[in-house]
Amino acid sequence: MSGLPERKVTVEQLLRLKRAERPSPEFWAQFEAQMRAKQLSAIVERRPWWAGLSRFAAFGRMQVSLGAAAALALSFAGYRLVEGQLAPGPASEVAALPVRSPAAAGRSAAVPAARSVREVVATVAGRTPSAPRPLVAADAPHIVPAPAAAALAAETTRSPFADGIAVTLADYREPVSAPRPDVFGSDRDFEAETLTARAQVADPLARMDTEAERRARILSPALPLARAYAADWMRQRTSTDDRIYESMDRAMSDDHQLGGIRF
Amino acid sequence: MQASKTLEKTLMATPERKLEADADLAVVRQVQAGDVAAFDRLIVKYRERVLGVIYNMTSNREDAADLAQDAFIKAFQSIHRFQGQASFFTWLYRIAVNSTLSHLRRNRLRSFFSLESVREDDPVSKDLVDALTDKQGGERDAFIRELQEKLNEAMQKLSIKHRTVVTLFEIDGLSHQEIAEVMECSVGTVRSRLHYAKQLLQGELQPYVK
Repeated sequence: MSGLPERKVTVEQLLRLKRAERPSPEFWAQFEAQMRAKQLSAIVERRPWWAGLSRFAAFGRMQVSLGAAAALALSFAGYRLVEGQLAPGPASEVAALPVRSPAAAGRSAAVPAARSVREVVATVAGRTPSAPRPLVAADAPHIVPAPAAAALAAETTRSPFADGIAVTLADYREPVSAPRPDVFGSDRDFEAETLTARAQVADPLARMDTEAERRARILSPALPLARAYAADWMRQRTSTDDRIYESMDRAMSDDHQLGGIRF
Repeated sequence: MQASKTLEKTLMATPERKLEADADLAVVRQVQAGDVAAFDRLIVKYRERVLGVIYNMTSNREDAADLAQDAFIKAFQSIHRFQGQASFFTWLYRIAVNSTLSHLRRNRLRSFFSLESVREDDPVSKDLVDALTDKQGGERDAFIRELQEKLNEAMQKLSIKHRTVVTLFEIDGLSHQEIAEVMECSVGTVRSRLHYAKQLLQGELQPYVK
């Protein structure tokens, strides 16, 4: 090996030799010429197709704002819809009951209408498994929860109270405005059906099946007595409720004190 | 006192570099304003250093020339994105080093050395060769040529990242902080790579080093 050194140096000193490795001036002339050619080709190089998409940047920003507005509107509409479903008023609860109007009952068979009446009575009495709590319609004061005995009777037989309530509810649900004859045709047939259905619902004994007829025959002698008893019971109950409400009002208005405990 | 100054110079960029960076930023602003010819001043100023870094990483002068030109073209094309948060030469070095690293990874199996000649008039190289040998004339030239080849072989045995750190620190004279900015790593990583690379070079260049 001819290149063996007589003396030794450090690695750092040895690496400094590479600083002295420099190209010749001719190299730099060639480098500059190549550099110029590459620079010019870079300047005149065709722009890629996606570079033109920047023109749509303003529209893209507008799309974002439109999308945000649409999302906001949808959110608001959804909120209103959910709010209406989750927090219905007493009227809408009553309207949601499976009561069929006389018109609908007239268009279909009378038996389903009777079944609907039974469900309404059970629901109002609070004895339906799906709706255990009693339903009280605040804006329908004529709807009064039936007493337990009457509700029990409504499950087995057709109670006059239940049918009366059903008719009231059906009237309550009936639309106020009549359908336009020029749109829906003549309403004479419709009125006839409505009257027939109303008569069927209003006369409970007219729609009784065999078992119910047998029970009605048993109960019919006691029917006037039961009606009188029920009317008396309702009158007593109303007065009792009034006394309870009055006492509660006095207790609550007494500086919000109840049982010696200040709230 | 002298040791602390040397350490500071090693770790941090010097005030001269900061003045240089301010001057470069003014030129870059001209280019960004539309004065394309001003970029030629930056090319002339940094072409030797950029080429030297790439050459010492690749050990191939043709590849180094192409990569240096590509680095300047990339810098020119994306100069509108330069915000001036780092110095221009650090930014330019980062472009050059990343291009070279990509090239070396693509051509990992291809290694062809084409060495530049060592300039005899350089005082550093003359002192170094004088320190190593007393030979003169043709023997001296052969000794320098063999030393050059041994050095390049040892450098090529380093990994790409270790070679880059050694090149930037020992040959180009960048500080640890500047190398960390160029290589986008921590200063500790730079020191660790430098220490490991020197140990490897010490073993490879055993006949020449103490």
